[in-house]
This record gives sequence, structure tokens and C-alpha cells, in this order.
Amino acid sequence: MKKTLALLLALIMVFALAAPSAFADDEITLDVIICQYGPNTNEWFLGKGMNGTNFVDKFEAENPGIKLNLDVVSWNDVYTEVDTRIANGNAPDILNIDVFANYANEGLLLPVKDYCPDELFEDFFPSFIEQSVIDDTVWAVPDLASARALFYNADMFDEVGIEVPTTWAELKDASQAIIDFYDGEVYPWGIDMTTDEGQAAFAYYTWGNGGGFVDADGEWAVNSAENVEAINFALDLINSGYTNPNPATQTRYDLQDMFAAGKLAMVIAPNQLPTYVADKGGEINMATANIPANEGKSSSSVGVMDRVMAFKDDSAPDQAARNEAIGKFLSFFYDPENYVGWVSMEGFLPAVNSAVEALVAADPSFEAWLDVLGGCQFYPTAKAEWDQVKQGVIAAEQSALTGADIQTELDALQAALVG
Amino acid sequence: MNALQGKRKWVPYVWLLPSALLIAVFVIFPILIVFKLSFSEISKAGVIGDFIGFQNYIDAVHLPAFKTVMVNTFWWVISVVGISTLLGFIVALVLNQKFHGRKIARSILVFPWATSLVIQASVWNYIIKYEYGSLNNVLLNLGIINQAINWRSSYTVEFIWECGVGIFVTVPFVAFCVLSGLQSIDGSLYEAATVDGAGFWNKLWNITLPLVRPSLTVSTVLNIIYVFNSFPIVYTMTKGAPANKTDTMITYLYMLSFYDRKKGPATALSVIGFLILCVCAGVYMLSVMRKEEEP
Repeated sequence: MKKTLALLLALIMVFALAAPSAFADDEITLDVIICQYGPNTNEWFLGKGMNGTNFVDKFEAENPGIKLNLDVVSWNDVYTEVDTRIANGNAPDILNIDVFANYANEGLLLPVKDYCPDELFEDFFPSFIEQSVIDDTVWAVPDLASARALFYNADMFDEVGIEVPTTWAELKDASQAIIDFYDGEVYPWGIDMTTDEGQAAFAYYTWGNGGGFVDADGEWAVNSAENVEAINFALDLINSGYTNPNPATQTRYDLQDMFAAGKLAMVIAPNQLPTYVADKGGEINMATANIPANEGKSSSSVGVMDRVMAFKDDSAPDQAARNEAIGKFLSFFYDPENYVGWVSMEGFLPAVNSAVEALVAADPSFEAWLDVLGGCQFYPTAKAEWDQVKQGVIAAEQSALTGADIQTELDALQAALVG
Repeated sequence: MNALQGKRKWVPYVWLLPSALLIAVFVIFPILIVFKLSFSEISKAGVIGDFIGFQNYIDAVHLPAFKTVMVNTFWWVISVVGISTLLGFIVALVLNQKFHGRKIARSILVFPWATSLVIQASVWNYIIKYEYGSLNNVLLNLGIINQAINWRSSYTVEFIWECGVGIFVTVPFVAFCVLSGLQSIDGSLYEAATVDGAGFWNKLWNITLPLVRPSLTVSTVLNIIYVFNSFPIVYTMTKGAPANKTDTMITYLYMLSFYDRKKGPATALSVIGFLILCVCAGVYMLSVMRKEEEP
């Protein structure tokens, strides 16, 4: 009798465990990973940051039959998390991150045309979409962007009686004037060659000297004469005492803190700097200008763009339904009613035309930044070797800081890239 | 009676089973997986491919920063374990004396050890900051220096700071291990030695050291493992910059895996690290056990 009862109980338990999946065949669950852009990200997606509700609840209410298993992951952990999940055969359905080339090259991603509704696809800024193309296929869509420009302490410039530098020569003169006036108490210029963002420093100087990561044909050219001259100029600024003293370990956030504290006169930073300084309690009368370039060369702003991409899942029973669900997710996310709140919440710039009007209406300063964004250059993240180049230029800069020859370092990197 | 004893023979194994299972699942299984991965091709995105023999190991030892990182790791372990063991021993001797406020002193000693290493490293980052670090502020206000000093003027100095923070957080652990050993020493041994005319150094050398040796062994072996595997201090203070000059093996293999996306060589390095630790801990344990067995 006892045995029969135990068997019955076991059968009930097995049935209870199997039941939800048996009855929920029509329901699609999407695993989504979103990067944490700031303190509000989690609240907006999972808490009450979306007018008392959140993205997941609102999406599920409006899209019955689709469940979101959404995680907000910090930028520090997201690469570890995603790579581990891929290694375990458990890649997310939808991923928000900055890079995409490795995933696309290894055949892990779905082409955007498979899931993105045409109307939405047409809404993205074309120059952004171009950044996610490999072999004529679009593999990811942009979720937001930020643009970098030169911020300077306008009061300091008035006190010293100098104009904002537009060329490298003017930058050195202005730096010397600031050093002389403040007796070395203020750093004229901020440089970040850290492991976090040393590639940005490489871009600021090389793009301002007609160089860059790639040549006109889009081939790697990290050791060009223009690049060597540009990095040597940056090193000269450091060695002349015009910059923060420890560029290999002082991050952009350290520089922004110094700028907010009135300890740094000029810094290249993203458009969110005014909000950052205000949050730190700084009351700096700041203004923006183009990043100084070498004489006769044009200035170029640096655009940084993150992406949303969808992974393949061969085990999904109904691929068409899954693709449709991913499309619904994107349409809901980029709906101006939701997207405008998302972009403006963390002070980023939009990636779709339909959001521009509402954003400019809410904050007229957006318009100027959208112009800057239009003329931005982006990192060549669509190239498969980008990780190697990014870490390589940072290592080259940092080695040069310890006395190595930058030409030799960049030659070695170029040789490793082209074989 | 014999039948009962025979039946009970398996009882201890049943009690050990949960621990054995936990160790198998959370320790042995991951180690085996890492060994397997180190012989496999791993893509940039983390997809595990075919068996490629020792290629990951060959790539790892030919990395430009490999030598620097190994030398750094050697100095990191030797200096942090060596100096913290010496200082921890001295602190334990002091805390074993009877003095007013001894309990408070013992409690305070726990703080550096009990605080998260990331917080410790971040706090020290602020202390030695050139622009508005508290060390410069204090020295300037006391009039000891006239102008702020750049406490991170070169990567060698930065590495020394990292070792310093490592020592700071490790001393309490050694001190408490040694203190537990000191408290188990019978006081009559010291009394007898005093009667026989033994001085401080004599008692230290002939009574204290031999009797706390088991505690020191435990703390040293554990410290070698902890310090070798320590990630937060170096990662928080410098991230190995500039150009891996302050990296240790653990921070380097993390950067290699998740920044450079060379996951195969990174896995091979982690196996090399594991083997080095096994050898170090094994040699040390064997030598100590041999000494303990000596009459």
C-alpha cells in the first residue's frame, strides 16, 4: 500500500513539473541582457522607473504570449556573463552590448532583416547602421550613442585671457599660459591612456592628424606616420607637464572629477559631462569646442555607439514566431513613447529619427549634439581584429609612457595584424 | 557483535558523502573542465572547438608579457606572504601580552581582513591620490612636506603600493593564526625557562617558534594560495597598467580572456598557475611535515 502511495505521489510530482511546459507551448520566452548604463537602468527595465511601472511589465501586458527574462548586467561583468553563456550553449536571445563582430563572424547572430520590421529599420540613422555591417549584412541595430567633444572651463580661460585652442600648437601655448597663471596648480589638459579607454586617446590624436586605425581602403594602418606623429605629440604634452600626471591609471572619470573640482582646465568627454559635473556638486562654467587638430588637418569628434543584436537558437520550435517576438521587442523598445524616456534618462543621444523631435523639444541642447554626432567618426568595430587593435594600441601607448618607442610598438602591432 | 561492526563500517562514509559530493561538484569537476578547455580551441566569443593539444600552452608562454607577469607574480607572492608572515607574527606576540585594551586592539585588527578587498584597494587608491589624496593632505597640513608628492610616479612604485596593500590585508590573518597557536602554549614552559635563566630571544627561538610552527604552516600555505590567486587589489588599483607591468598571473589571465579575448592561452595560464600552486604548497607541506617528524 505504502509503495503504491509513493508511486502515485511521484507520478503527481513528475506531472506537476511537466505541466507548465505542456500547457505553455504557445508562449515564447526571450532571454534578454541589457547593459547597465547608470543607476536608472535597472529601475526603468525592472523596477518602477517607467512612470510607476517598468519595461518588462508594460511589454508583457501589451504583448500577450511573449515573456521577457531580462537581466540588467553591469558593464564590468557583461563580457564575462555573455561569453560564459555562449560557452555553455545558453546564449541570450537578445543582447545589448557595444561589440558584435566576433559573434557575427562565428555565425552566432541572426541577420537584422530576419527579425527587424522594415518600418523600424528605416527609422535608424543610416550612418549608424553602416557601423554594424559585415559582408553586406546588417548584424545589429544601434540602441543609443554618445559623442565626444572638448569641454573647457570658460571662467579659467577668461581669467588667463586666452582663446580656446583649435590646433595642436595653440593647445601647447594655451597649456603653458594656464601653467604659468595658476603656478602649476591646475592641469591644463586631461589624457586618459588607461586600460579602460586608451583607444579613445588614440582616436582623438590620430584622427586629428589625418591618421587613424584604418587607411582610406579600410585596411589596418595603426603604424602610419600620422599616427606615430600624433601619439608622440600626446606624449610630448605629458612630458611637458601639461597633463594629469598618471595617464596610464587615471581614467576618464578621474579626469571628469578633476574637471568638476576645478583642477583641470580642458577635458575631452561625452555629452553627459554637464550632468555628471552637476551630480558631483561641481559648479563649473563650462563650454564645448571641437577637439584640437594638427595644423591644416580637420578636427573629428569621436562617436561611441552601442548595439542590440539577436542570437540564433536552433532549438526554438518555431523560428518564425521567435523572430516575430524579437521584432515586437524592438518595436516596443524604439516606440518614441518608451525610447525617448530611455535615452534622455541617462543623457544619451538617440539612434532613431522618430525620437529626435521629442528629445529636442524636451532639451534644445540636444540639437547641437545631434549635429556633432552627424560628423563623428566611429571605431572600426565591424572588423574582426578590433579587440586586438583596441588592446594593442592601449598597450603601445602605455609602453611608450614607460619609455618605449611608439613607432616600434605600433610596427609590432601592425605586423601582428597583417601577418 | 562482529556482524554489527561490519554493518557500521559504512556509516562514516555516509556522513562524509555530502562533503565529498560538494567537493566533487564545486572543486574537482570545474578543475577537470578547465584542464579539458586548456587543450581545446576556444573562439573569441567563447565557443569551444576541437582538441588542439598543447597549442594553448605554447601560445601562452610566447605571449610578450608572459615573462614580466611571471616575475611580478613571484615578487607579489614572496613579498606579501613573507612580510605579512613576519609582521603578523610580531603583532600576534604583542597581542598575546596582557595590556589594557587588548580586546579592543584584537577587534580592530580584524577590520582590514574582514573588509572587502575591492573596498580596501579603492580606499588606498584615494589615500595615495596625488591631487586630493588624504596622505598628501595629512603630510601637507602637518608641514612635513611643502608640496604634494606623486605617490604613483612609476609602475615600480605602483607595484610596491599594491604589495603594501596586500600585506596590510594579510597581516591580520597571520596574526590570528599565530595567536591561536600562542594561546595553546602552556605558560609553565616559559616559567621553567625563566627559572633556567633563558632570555626573550632564547624563549622565542626554543619554545615559541617550535610550538607555533603548525599554525604558521597553515597560515603560510593558505596565504600562498590566497595571495597567488588574489585578483581585486591589482585589478582595482592599476588593472595591470601600464602595459601589464603591474599585472600578476591572475589579473593577466583575466585581461587576456575578457579584454584581449585570447581565451585558450588564458585557460592554459590558469592551469599553469594551478600546477605552480600545487607544487609550492606540496613542497612546503612536505618539508614542514618532515621537520615535525624529526625527533
